[in-house]
Formats: sequence, structure tokens, C-alpha cells
Amino acid sequence: MTNSEKYKKAFSVLEPSDKISWEVEKMKAIEKKRHRKIAAAAVAIVGVLVLGSGSAYAANVGGIQRQIQLWTRGELTDATITFDGKGGYTTTYTDENGETQEMSGGGIAYDIFGNERPLTEDELMEDAGMNDVEVAIEDGRITVYFMDQVIDITDKFKDGICHVHLTGNGKEYFLTVGENGNYTLSEDKYMDL
Amino acid sequence: MRVTLQELIEKYKQNIYVVAFGILKNKEDAEDVVQDTFYQYYISKKEFESEEHIKAWLLRVAINKSKNAVTSFWKKKNVSIDDYIDTLTFDTPESKDLFETVISLPDKYKVVIHLFYYEDYSVKEISKILGISESNVKVRLNRGRSILKEKLKEEWEDDE
Repeated sequence: MTNSEKYKKAFSVLEPSDKISWEVEKMKAIEKKRHRKIAAAAVAIVGVLVLGSGSAYAANVGGIQRQIQLWTRGELTDATITFDGKGGYTTTYTDENGETQEMSGGGIAYDIFGNERPLTEDELMEDAGMNDVEVAIEDGRITVYFMDQVIDITDKFKDGICHVHLTGNGKEYFLTVGENGNYTLSEDKYMDL
Repeated sequence: MRVTLQELIEKYKQNIYVVAFGILKNKEDAEDVVQDTFYQYYISKKEFESEEHIKAWLLRVAINKSKNAVTSFWKKKNVSIDDYIDTLTFDTPESKDLFETVISLPDKYKVVIHLFYYEDYSVKEISKILGISESNVKVRLNRGRSILKEKLKEEWEDDE
């Protein structure tokens, strides 16, 4: 067997799964969702993550980590956000099953000259705060979680779309959800999927 | 010329996935790159000379997106590469050795090795896909081969 034949045989074990969506509209929605974080975080903000009592809580421990509270599945949860100093972060918290969950993010922003720079910690805090809103599909039900609100929207779709207006503690979001759980989130208006 | 998206997906999703996985060493991230790459083709208005040209373009886009994904810090919670390899079924232990050794190569050698041995591209074609000189391709190919030979010994033949 030649090296090329051996190589192809070895790598023939790799195959993409069926989870990949090939429908163009779904690809478009996934792209929007994936790039929303970068677009949102490029806007200058003052970042606070924690809500509930109307006060912000973000204790600085050591400069590269912050103890925070964030909303997940309708519960206010203690979490640790760790910055890597290069425009990225990881948020770690314990879920309702006692398991450690991790979310990572980060990215770049552009100045007015089109130059790239890593996101600052404040921008990353805001990026992580976009996780205030979650859309989950479980046991055939579609649920929106926003702060301490848990909204079952399964039966509220019209023509495959559900619009949800979310407000709470000075925050307002316009959420558009599709029946497969894809969504767009905006602070200005309902966006198309 | 343009080929329909569906036709391209059926023909080349495996190729795109394998090259992305080689760089990212992560199934979910590689699948994201596959999806992103075909979406890029969909929204691109570029005209191509031939289907081979389209394939080369897809691979180039996938390689660039994979490299960007490595440095952009978007991560998913996922299984380690070693644990993932243990879930794969190889025909022979030698195949597994070869797979693991290639995956562990530095990216710049790995990509050239992959395009040469998996995609059967020539040095000239690889230089166009990657946008580097032919001499650079040859250097990376030789260095990649040296590492493979050193680690795999008789399992990897000497070839030019």
C-alpha cells in the first residue's frame, strides 16, 4: 500500500454528523447567531452582568477573574468569569444537577480605521451577559429563559415564528424564535431569522 | 461556472470536514467550519473556472476558517482529542498510529501533508491553494515527511 493509500484509509474514519443543517435558511440563522456576539460586543458599553435586585455585582479577584452572578434557566447562579488577556473568556458555573458547565467566548472589535483589537474585559462582560436570554428545546417544548422568567412558547408560533418582547431591570430585548430553536436577539427591533 | 450547493455538499462535505478536523481536532468546531464554508460559497458571487477550482476554493476557505477558529477563542465544551480518537474504529493499529501522528504534526506541515496525500494535489496546486511559494510547500512537505518517518518508522515509506 502506498503512503497515500494508507493516509486515506486512516482518515476515512472521519465523517461529519447528521446534525449539520444544510438548509440555507437554517445556515443563515446559525451564522447570524454565531456572529451576533461579535457585532454586539463591538459596541461600547458599560458592562454589568448581575441583576435581580437591581444592583450589579462583579467582585474583582486578582485582575484576571471576576466572581459574578448570571441568569441560567431562570435561576440566579454564582459563576466565575476568567479572562485570558487576549480577548477571550470562560464562564464556569454549577448547574441544577451539580455539574460544572462552561461557556466560552470572545472576539475582536474594529476601531473606526478598521483595525482589529481584542475585546476589553468590559466588552466581554457584556458579551457574556447576552446569555441573559436562553432558548431551550426539551421534551418537545420550547422555553425561553430570561432572568427569572420562564416562558413556554411552544404553542405561540405563527407561520413558524414566535416574537417575544423581554423586559426586566432596565433591559429590553426583541427575541425572534423559530420552531427549531434558532433565534435572533436584538435590543432594537425584531430581526428576521 | 457555478455548481449547486446541494451537489457540492454531497461531493465535498467529507473533504472539508477532514481538513477542518485536522486543524481544529474537534468534531463540533470542524462541523461548524463545514457549515460556514458552504454558506460562504452560497453567499459568494464568485465565478469559477471549473469544479476543481471550486473544490480548491472550498478547501482554502475551510483551512482559513479553521485557522481563524483556533485563534479566535470561540470554544465549545467537548471531548479531548485523545478520548475522541478512542471512539473511532480503525481497520488496523497502523492506521490509528498514522492518524494520531498526523494529527499531532504542527499545522503548517499537517495541512501540506494532508493536501498532498489525501487530496492528491501537486506541489504547484498546493502552493496556489495556500498562497505560498512552491519551495515553501516542498520544505513543509519534507519536514512533515521526516517527522512521519521518524515516528512511524517502517509504517511510512520513503517517498519523494
